[in-house]
Amino acid sequence: MILKALISSLFAGLLELDNVQAGQFLISRPAFAGPLLGWLNGCPFEGARMGILIELIYLDFIPVGGVVPPNGLVAAAAAVLALVWAGLPESTAFFFGVMAGFMYGKVEYRLRVSRSSWIKGIETDARNGALLLERNLAGSLLAESAISGLYIFFFSGLAAFLAAPLLRAGPEALFRASDLAYSLMPWLGLSGLYFRFRTQVYKKG
Amino acid sequence: MFFSIFIRSFFIQAGWNYERLQNLGFAFAIMPALRKIYAPGEKLAAAVLRHLGLFNTQPYMAGFVIGNIVRMEEKLALMPAGGAESGPAAFEKKILEVKAALSSGFAAIGDRIFWGRLKPLTTQVCIVIWALAGFYGWLFTDTVSRVPLPVLFLGPLAGIALYAGGAVYLRWQGLKKGYACGGTASCGLDAVNWPALIRRLSVAGFALSLLIVAGAFGLLLEQNWDGAHKGGLILRAALALGVMALQRIVRKSGRSIFFAMGLILSASAALVIFERSGLHL
Repeated sequence: MILKALISSLFAGLLELDNVQAGQFLISRPAFAGPLLGWLNGCPFEGARMGILIELIYLDFIPVGGVVPPNGLVAAAAAVLALVWAGLPESTAFFFGVMAGFMYGKVEYRLRVSRSSWIKGIETDARNGALLLERNLAGSLLAESAISGLYIFFFSGLAAFLAAPLLRAGPEALFRASDLAYSLMPWLGLSGLYFRFRTQVYKKG
Repeated sequence: MFFSIFIRSFFIQAGWNYERLQNLGFAFAIMPALRKIYAPGEKLAAAVLRHLGLFNTQPYMAGFVIGNIVRMEEKLALMPAGGAESGPAAFEKKILEVKAALSSGFAAIGDRIFWGRLKPLTTQVCIVIWALAGFYGWLFTDTVSRVPLPVLFLGPLAGIALYAGGAVYLRWQGLKKGYACGGTASCGLDAVNWPALIRRLSVAGFALSLLIVAGAFGLLLEQNWDGAHKGGLILRAALALGVMALQRIVRKSGRSIFFAMGLILSASAALVIFERSGLHL
């Protein structure tokens, strides 16, 4: 199970590159990654449900300029792992995934900050006739893929795995409350979708 | 060279950093052109350094800027030495000005088209396909809903195909168009009636979202319809409407959707505790 979780995490880390650094074909969208990772782990329908709900909720954030939105791919992957590996109920796994995706935004921010320090070195290399951009960018892709994959595995999957016994030992009401809140998430997401377009259509001026 | 630049343009955001944003991706994308235009040495290094400056645009629209700048670099390489106002030094300055002007112009257009409209439209396409196939599991989280796996994947993949198809087409056309009219700061900005396109996408998105929300309430009605006892149905519909209103109020007050989510979680916990305590209103 641990090996499967690790493979799923690293695969998710590869998919994550599509989010910002390579391609941006939307194959990293949670509505696709959720059922895909769910299918690899034996729960495609639960993965699809959590994935589309994460996508609806995260549509609230637009990645313009330097804004780092919560990461939908990480959220979907963490939710699937929390469900399959840690054995959390689907509703709790969903909220765990949402939290993991939100927190990954901070990790991504740090990665972007750290890359700023490369520029002086690249410029010095260029002045000396060494054009090593390809090498630098390959390193950037590799680092982000590995870090996101390991983040999903350690900080999401493993955390959920460790937290699961504590959560199960807690009051059963915790899961019931989580179920009730989860049943309302589709309406929260639909509202975001509806009002986004309504605002655009009825915008003044 | 052109195809190589096109492929590299898919990595325009690789190495994104806070100091110069997409500068590494941009320099990487035009490298085949720079290597072709300039022989290895001082001029090539100067050209690379020129394009390691700050750059940021919408990634799918980057082709317009890249094509334009490649053409300008070609012109620069052929320029004879001249005075301060008409020589290569002035043209180098113009390259950077055109690059800055185009990047911000296309960022504004691209953000509105892709992030603001097309991306949520692909989510809508996924929901509609699933609904047509009878997969309502995403709406009723306490139910078990099954469809054949290909149908399950068709939902998100249809949106991806539409979105990625449009994005790839625009990257290629942008590159060609930018190269064709290289040297002008308005190059490509008038290639399409962008405001009309943005408006049409907004209307299409709004129509689809109306359809989806109406369909969702229709399904809620159908699933909970009980001729004798309408209490459950009214409660569920009221909860759904309440959540939608909450989302709107929270967003209007400038808070993120996570705030609304936190409120829902807290209210759910309070309700469950209240119910278990045996207290009734």
